[in-house]
Amino acid sequence: MGKSDENTQITTCPGCSCLCDDIKIIQKNRVIKVLNACRRGANIFLNSNKGRAVPSIRENVTNLESALEKAGELITDSRRLAIYGLDTTTSEAQNLAIDLAEKTGAYIDDNSSYCLGEFVEMCLKETLPTTTLDDVRDNAYVIIYWGSNPFHSIPRHMSRYSYFPRGKNRQRGYEEDRFLVIIDVRNNNTSKLVKRNGVFLEIESDVELINEINDFLEDKASKHTDQIARIVRELRKGDAIIFGGLGLKYGLKDSENGSKNYGEFVNLVKKLNKISNVYFMPAGFHPNMRGFNEALFKRTGYLNKYNFKEKTSKNKYEFSRLLKEDKIDTALIIGSDPVNSLPFEFSKKLSGIKTIVIDPRQNLTSLISEVVIPSAISGVESRGTMVRSDGLKFELNPISRNTCYLSDEYILKRLLDVV
Amino acid sequence: MPAPMEVFKLLPMTNCKICGEQTCMSFAFKVINRERKLDECKPLFEEDRYEEQRNKLIEMLKPVEKATDTGLIVEEELCVGCANCIVCCPVHAADDPYGMGSGKGPTIEKPILLIENGVVKVIEMSACRRYGKHRTLCVACRENCPTDAISFLEE
Repeated sequence: MGKSDENTQITTCPGCSCLCDDIKIIQKNRVIKVLNACRRGANIFLNSNKGRAVPSIRENVTNLESALEKAGELITDSRRLAIYGLDTTTSEAQNLAIDLAEKTGAYIDDNSSYCLGEFVEMCLKETLPTTTLDDVRDNAYVIIYWGSNPFHSIPRHMSRYSYFPRGKNRQRGYEEDRFLVIIDVRNNNTSKLVKRNGVFLEIESDVELINEINDFLEDKASKHTDQIARIVRELRKGDAIIFGGLGLKYGLKDSENGSKNYGEFVNLVKKLNKISNVYFMPAGFHPNMRGFNEALFKRTGYLNKYNFKEKTSKNKYEFSRLLKEDKIDTALIIGSDPVNSLPFEFSKKLSGIKTIVIDPRQNLTSLISEVVIPSAISGVESRGTMVRSDGLKFELNPISRNTCYLSDEYILKRLLDVV
Repeated sequence: MPAPMEVFKLLPMTNCKICGEQTCMSFAFKVINRERKLDECKPLFEEDRYEEQRNKLIEMLKPVEKATDTGLIVEEELCVGCANCIVCCPVHAADDPYGMGSGKGPTIEKPILLIENGVVKVIEMSACRRYGKHRTLCVACRENCPTDAISFLEE
């Protein structure tokens, strides 16, 4: 076979919320090269055939049709159903899952309830000024990563959208036209990148730092006065963006005041906006978490942990709490692995209830579930749209069309017809 | 990376001039800069009494062989493919301002570095500012690597 048999395609990577759309895939019968994608993204394409799930009912391998029928039966018979996951699937499938939850009066939740849901809410409800990642590249001068380590979770974030690239009004790139601020509790791989045009703030408490900045703005001294003074001085030179990560969320949330500290953070950003244009954006998460949040927000006014029976969202409807308090008898899990990601104390209860898993790959949850329905990998084998962390929609461009797997969208349509 | 003095201490230190250099020290420098090869030191390879030193030197100079023409070494197992090195490279910014210079994938045929299957690979070293006689000791890619996957021989 010569080089002419090679087929090159540009596609969008469904690996994380960066949704990089410049990935080049070279195929010759199978994927042989993935260019421009980070290690995390490249392996989704390279290993798309490995560890695939097989249709099964109670650990017995069966055919797809019987698995679908059984799943339909379980959902119809359920009294208290919860739908969970959804962050790695397409917006079209997410909307169908919301339809299904509405039709059955189910609970619906995704990873955002313990991930960055609150920050997405601030952006959607316009509590804080937000912007797009392309605007960040073109205009942002001060780039603040607060409680986030993009090196691990969103590897190309800094090189594609924030610190390194040259933008329309920031032509001199990271060398002259950017100022990097990393706020974290420890030295990490990202804080290593802080050079003469940057500040690394090693803090013990996020609330303390907010108070310190407030003190500085009122001309009072504090522990980090020198560094805060430098940041404020740089803020006056140009627009700023704060990327809030999980460190910031749990720094604000896990305190005696519950989630009251979010207000303090919002007030701080508003105060800083009097000095310069300061925008806020959640740093990064699952590929289509924002898509789910936006879809549910449009339909119900809430972002996650929603109960369609009572038409409201409460903390106690969070999936892990539903499990903990034995509130559900059936769980439909789409594209997620709660046994791996939730505390085992809660997730082990999935083996006691009727669990249906729709996932491309075999995972820990599928090992303990009643029904497993294998699906196509969104973005690699099935088409659709996903929403980037700044709210921009991206069309996926699957690399293999003749797959034997059904898309999440088709499976959910089938379940909707049966129920 | 071995220092010239470390290499020198393991050479015969007789200044025999068989290799053509005036001293063993200058030979050590040139071995590290890859202008000379270790096997050009004839006594070291011909005389049995240097066997232990010879083996130590071969082991010590392994990374030197791995390095590219500009002394750049990529340790693929450490790389996560964040592409910081590609975007911050001044040559990439000049040759491909709307591709790599703006954070995207390359739009030119032969970039210096490229992310392939999730890790950085050297494609066209001759375009690097460190290449050739009138080189600049640019370290932009090494400086901005969060995992130290990129290093240079002389450091």
